[in-house]
Amino acid sequence: MSLTLSNPDNPTGFVAALRKHFFATKLDAVISLVFGALIIWFVMGVVDWAILDAIFRLENRDQCTYEAGACWAVIESRGRLIMFGLYPYAEQWRSTLACFVIIATMVLSCVPLFWSVRRLPALWVGGFTVFVLLMRGGFWNMPLVTSEQWGGLALTLFIFSAVFVIGMPLAVLFALARRSDLPVIAKSFGLIIDFVRSLPLLTILFAAAVVVPLIAPEALQGNKLMRVVVAFAVFFAAYQAEIIRAGMQSTSAGQEEAAIALGMPYWSLVVDILLPQAFRNTLPSTINQAVITFKETSIVTFVGFFELMASGNAAIGTGEWGNQYVEVYVFLAFIYFIFVFGLSRYGAWLETRMRLGHG
Amino acid sequence: MADPAIHIQSVDKYYGDYHALRDVSLDVPDGQTLVICGPSGSGKSTLIRCINGLETYASGSVEVLGLAVGDDRHLCNLVRKQVGMVFQHFNLFPHLTILENCVLPQIRAIGKDRTAATEEARTQLARMQVDIHAEKYPDQLSGGQQQRVALARALCLKPKIMLFDEPTSALDPEMISEVLDVMQALAREDMTIICVTHEMGFARAVADRVILMAEGRIVEEGTAEQMFTAPTHQITRDFMKAVQR
Ligand SMILES: Nc1ncnc2c1ncn2[C@@H]1O[C@H](COP(=O)(O)OP(=O)(O)OP(=O)(O)O)[C@@H](O)[C@H]1O
Ligand SMILES: [Mg+2]
Repeated sequence: MSLTLSNPDNPTGFVAALRKHFFATKLDAVISLVFGALIIWFVMGVVDWAILDAIFRLENRDQCTYEAGACWAVIESRGRLIMFGLYPYAEQWRSTLACFVIIATMVLSCVPLFWSVRRLPALWVGGFTVFVLLMRGGFWNMPLVTSEQWGGLALTLFIFSAVFVIGMPLAVLFALARRSDLPVIAKSFGLIIDFVRSLPLLTILFAAAVVVPLIAPEALQGNKLMRVVVAFAVFFAAYQAEIIRAGMQSTSAGQEEAAIALGMPYWSLVVDILLPQAFRNTLPSTINQAVITFKETSIVTFVGFFELMASGNAAIGTGEWGNQYVEVYVFLAFIYFIFVFGLSRYGAWLETRMRLGHG
Repeated sequence: MADPAIHIQSVDKYYGDYHALRDVSLDVPDGQTLVICGPSGSGKSTLIRCINGLETYASGSVEVLGLAVGDDRHLCNLVRKQVGMVFQHFNLFPHLTILENCVLPQIRAIGKDRTAATEEARTQLARMQVDIHAEKYPDQLSGGQQQRVALARALCLKPKIMLFDEPTSALDPEMISEVLDVMQALAREDMTIICVTHEMGFARAVADRVILMAEGRIVEEGTAEQMFTAPTHQITRDFMKAVQR
C-alpha cells in the first residue's frame, strides 16, 4: 500500500490513525466510504428493528402482527420452553441450576490450575454427577424426571460436554492405537477411524438410538441419551484422533528416542512428552472441532431429543407465535454465539499463553 | 580380570536386506573411554544403539553390566537406567524448561521425589555450566548449551556408562570445544564412555582405545596414536587423511 501521507512522523491522534488506515489512497477512500455506508445502513436497520421499533411487553394480543419491529414478547412468553424444552414447569429451577453446574465445570476445566491427571477427571465426574442428580431427581422432594423429558439449553450443554469429555480420551486412545508398533492394531484402528469418518453423524446417531435396541441385549443398552452421547463421542473421537495423531507426528522422533534411552516408561512418554506437544501443536484445529461439535449437538433433534434448537422450533411451532420465528432464531443464535465465541476467545488466549512458552 | 562393562559377541544386524552389522564383537572394560570412528554408513550408530536396546539385532549377544540386552523389555529397561545417551541433535523436550528436562526423567525413570530430583538436576546443570539457564526453554539456548543440558540430563540418572553419538557434529565450530571440554572431564573420571566422533583431538586426549568401522565391521583398533602412525588398513589411512583435513 502506498502512503500519501504528508507527514508520517506524526501519526498520533484519531484523525491521523483514521487517515492512515482508511484513506491512505484514493481507492482506499472509496472502499472505506462504500463499506462504511453499508455498515451504518445495516446497523441502523438492526437497531431500528431490534430496539427502537421493538415491542418488549405485550399490551394486546394482536399488537405483534402489525408492528414493523421485533416482538421480543415472544421470548418472555416462550422463553421457558426454549430454555427448558419439555422439562416439567415446576421443576425448571433444577434445570437452571444444572446449567450453572455444567457451565461452572466447563469454566473451571479451562483454568490451568485444574490441568492435572487427577484434578480434571475428578472435576468432570463431580460436575456430571451433580448435573445428573439434579436433572433426574427421584430423591428428597425432587420428583423423577427421566432423560426423555430433559431439554433446551441444559440438554445441549450436557451433550456437548459429555461428548467432549468422553470423546477426548477416546481420541487419544485411537491416535495411540493407530501409531502402534503392532501392525494389526494400527491397521484395524485406521480402518475403524476411516469407517466412522465416512458415515454421516446422523446415521451413527440413528443407529445408536434406534438400531442398537433391536440387536443388543437389554442389559447392554443403557438409556437412549447415553447411547446417543457415546455414539456422538465416538464420531468426535474419530476426527479428533487424526488431529492428535498429526500433532504427535510433528514432534521429532528424536524426543521419543531420548525418552526411551533415559528409561522413561511408555505412559510417561505419551502423557509427559507427546500429548502436551500434540495438543499445543493442534490447538486451533482442536478448538475448531469443539466449535463444530457444539453446533452439531442440534442434530440430536432428529433422534427425538428436545435440545435448544428443537425447543426453539417448538416455541414457534404453535400458531400463536408462528410469525415471530425471526426473533426466536435471533435469540437462539445469540445463545449459541455466547458459547462459541467464548470457546474461540479461550482458544486465542491459550495460543498466546503457549507461545509465551508455558507448558 | 573383572567382567567387561560391555560384552558384544558376534552381532549381526539387518535393515531389511541391508546387512548393517557383520559379525561384530567388542569388549569394553569398566572405566574405558572408547572412540568409534569410520566413514558414514559404516554402522557406528547402529552398533551403539544396540547397547541400550534402541535397535534390535538378528543374532549374537549384547551384555551390558551383566544384563542381556535383547528382546526382554524388562532387562532393556534396567540397562537403560544405567546407560546414558547423548545424541547428535540433543533431543531435549522443547515444551519443558531446562530444569524440568532434567527433573522429569529422574521422577519417571527411577522414581525419585521432586525435591531430590531438582537438587540433583541443579548440581548436574552447574557441573555442565548451564545452571543459569535452568528456567529457560531449549530453543532459547545455543546448540553447545543444549548439548551440555542433554549431557546433564543423562548424568542426573547416575549412569555407569555413557554413549555419545556424534555429539558435536551438529554444532557450529566455535561451540564444539565447550562440549568436548566437559566430555573430557567426564572421561578422566572413571565413567565408561563410548563415543562416536570424528574429533581426533578428543580421541588423542582421552581415548584409551579407538576402533574404526567400515561396512558393518570393525576393521582396525588401537590407540589414537597407532591409528595415525601405524594404520594397517588402506581404509584407515584414507579415513585418517579425510578427518585431518
Ligand atoms: N532405520 C533404518 N532403516 C534402514 N536402513 C538404515 C536405518 N538406519 C540405518 N540404516 C542404514 O544402515 C547403515 C548404517 O547406518 P548407521 O546409522 O549405523 O551409520 P553410521 O556409521 O552411524 O553413519 P553416519 O556417520 O552417517 O551417522 C547405513 O547404510 C544406513 O543407511
Ligand atoms: Mg550415525
